[in-house]
Amino acid sequence: MLYFAIIMPVFLIYPYMIWMIIIVGILSQISIFMLSKWFNSMYASKGYEGFVELFGERMVRLIAFIGIGFIFLKVIVIILGYIEVVQHFIFPSVNTNWMLLFILLICWYVASLGMPNTIRFIVIAFLCTAWMLLLLLKIPFKPFTTIHDLFPLIPYEWTMKSWKGVLFIWSAFSGPEYLVLLAPWFNKREKILKYMTIGNTFTIFEYLFLFIASLFFFGSHYLGKNKLPVMEMIRYLQSPMFERIDIILISVYLFHFVFAISIFLLLFYGATRITLKKSKDQTTRLGFALCCAIFFICIMMSNELLWKKATNQNILLELEIWAGAFTYLFVPLLLFISLKRKGHS
Amino acid sequence: MKHKHTKILFVIFVNMIVLSGCSPIKEKNLIEEIAPVTFWSIRKGEDENLRMSTLIPPLVKEKKRLLTVQVDLLKEGMKGFNLKYYRELKVGQLRMLLISEEIAKEGISPLIDTILTDPDISKRLYLAVVRGNFDEYMNNQLKMQEDLDYYLYRMFKHYDNQGKLTIINLHQFMKTLHSPAHSPLLPVFEASEENFQYLGTGIFNNDKLIETTNYMEEQIFQLIDNDHFLKYFAIRDLSIVLGHVKANVHLNMDNTYSELKLNVQLNGRLDEIAREHKLLTRDELSRFESEIELYLEKQTIKFLKKLQKNKVDPLQLRKYTLRPFSKPLNGREWSNRWERMEVKVDYDLKIQPLTDTKN
Repeated sequence: MLYFAIIMPVFLIYPYMIWMIIIVGILSQISIFMLSKWFNSMYASKGYEGFVELFGERMVRLIAFIGIGFIFLKVIVIILGYIEVVQHFIFPSVNTNWMLLFILLICWYVASLGMPNTIRFIVIAFLCTAWMLLLLLKIPFKPFTTIHDLFPLIPYEWTMKSWKGVLFIWSAFSGPEYLVLLAPWFNKREKILKYMTIGNTFTIFEYLFLFIASLFFFGSHYLGKNKLPVMEMIRYLQSPMFERIDIILISVYLFHFVFAISIFLLLFYGATRITLKKSKDQTTRLGFALCCAIFFICIMMSNELLWKKATNQNILLELEIWAGAFTYLFVPLLLFISLKRKGHS
Repeated sequence: MKHKHTKILFVIFVNMIVLSGCSPIKEKNLIEEIAPVTFWSIRKGEDENLRMSTLIPPLVKEKKRLLTVQVDLLKEGMKGFNLKYYRELKVGQLRMLLISEEIAKEGISPLIDTILTDPDISKRLYLAVVRGNFDEYMNNQLKMQEDLDYYLYRMFKHYDNQGKLTIINLHQFMKTLHSPAHSPLLPVFEASEENFQYLGTGIFNNDKLIETTNYMEEQIFQLIDNDHFLKYFAIRDLSIVLGHVKANVHLNMDNTYSELKLNVQLNGRLDEIAREHKLLTRDELSRFESEIELYLEKQTIKFLKKLQKNKVDPLQLRKYTLRPFSKPLNGREWSNRWERMEVKVDYDLKIQPLTDTKN
């Protein structure tokens, strides 16, 4: 997940977490396998109707209502996390609420173009941000790095912190479970397992690369002292033409955030409509704008009340780690089990 | 049509806000109104406070001068400069931080922490320790050389990773400071009225300067510490200079960490000899080689013993105890072992025979 990729090395620290990333990545494949079963079933193409057939309307409304909470939490952490980065590196004196407003305005615009267009936006977002990883390839070859920064590779003590690292990795792999909500817009559902496996492998490599690069750059002992290690690494890079490439990279990274938040905005709108029993009615601009406004107010409030006060232990981030891990474990499981039960009866 | 109207209205609205000065960005960075500084020099003032100096203005065509303030806190100095000078000083281009030796001996953690927390300051900031009065030197040199600060920075940049001088930036310093050996390094310079010269490597224990390498130690340190070659390796006691010396270092530690075997293979040529010699014969040359080897072995052991006595590990020897599948020593265990470790040094010198000389 976007923001988690930036802060991940802080939660892992120890070199042996390299193996944990691989192991958790393989476990995440199981979740993906269960999800793909659902995509291949006939319910997936029907969207809302499919869910109603599977769970019954009352249950779907309840799930949608709970889902709103999860979506909120995820968006709050993503957007406030990004704003924190921007404030730290680019605009130290700007009020964060302004940035929040601007980012949400962009997302509102993207989301108002409709679901198909928003999904297509991922191509732009991917092309704009994927190459950034390549820049970090330089890091392990800096003169002050040694291979000894990666040692020892096996754990000699296993503490609560290590468990938390594992939980964090699992949470960082989460996200594909939200794809089930977008299923009606996908047209090649037969091959979805293949695509999702490719995606999962790519994520494993990305996390591994980021973690190993930051181990080389900081060393295991200094890594824990930093708050945004990946950004610090990017900040250290310099091009002869332009010194602060981090400013450009952070700005470009916004594409990815805009994509994710727009999708979640639309999901939020949909979930609200289901909860309020309005899913049969025509979607309206006003309703959507209202949803965006609610979004803005809620995020602003949590920014003022919870995020800013957080010193080291950020309660929202903590909650999101648990929530992400929870949904990634139980959503595929729930769908898989209910599919099996439907299949038998 | 209706859609178009909303767009136009929106653009007008945003422009109204931004143009009327309600811009959310409050910091002003007009080039005429700011003065980016490139270095700070910090030394002890009278009483217990700090004296900070910097050169202004490095940007516009205006006569440069040294600005000094006396403050208790580092960032207070920043403010002090602004009160004193009509342009606002910005630290975004800060490239060097020169710390006086007295402060370095007392510990530079408070200073470094202040610098670290400022996101404007790059981690590529070069750090150096200065012995003597740098301000005096600056004031004197300014009359002769305008862009002194810039050339100073170029010097640091030039020798970065060359393996001739120790050049350390903020990030490297922090990384070694946090590693369990806790022995970061910084270059030490000496400043007098006319001169600003490199002295050697300052070895720290945590954030306190413990000692500075002398002439011979510095050369040995540069040889062993990195893979680069040393362009000139002057051995005064034997009155020779070796040129383009490339060292191949093999470190061996036994399993109980009680003995360190250091095997250095040197390749180089004889650049200068200031004594009677007959080096053209093979026998003479090898006798000469073993004389140098013996001398270097003695010097290196002396140097390492000194490090052990001071409980510092600037060569980062601890990292050789780390292996992929064995338990690492923690900082204290390592420093205990290191103090008592037996050191064996073996040099193996290969000199290209001297040709083209009359002898």
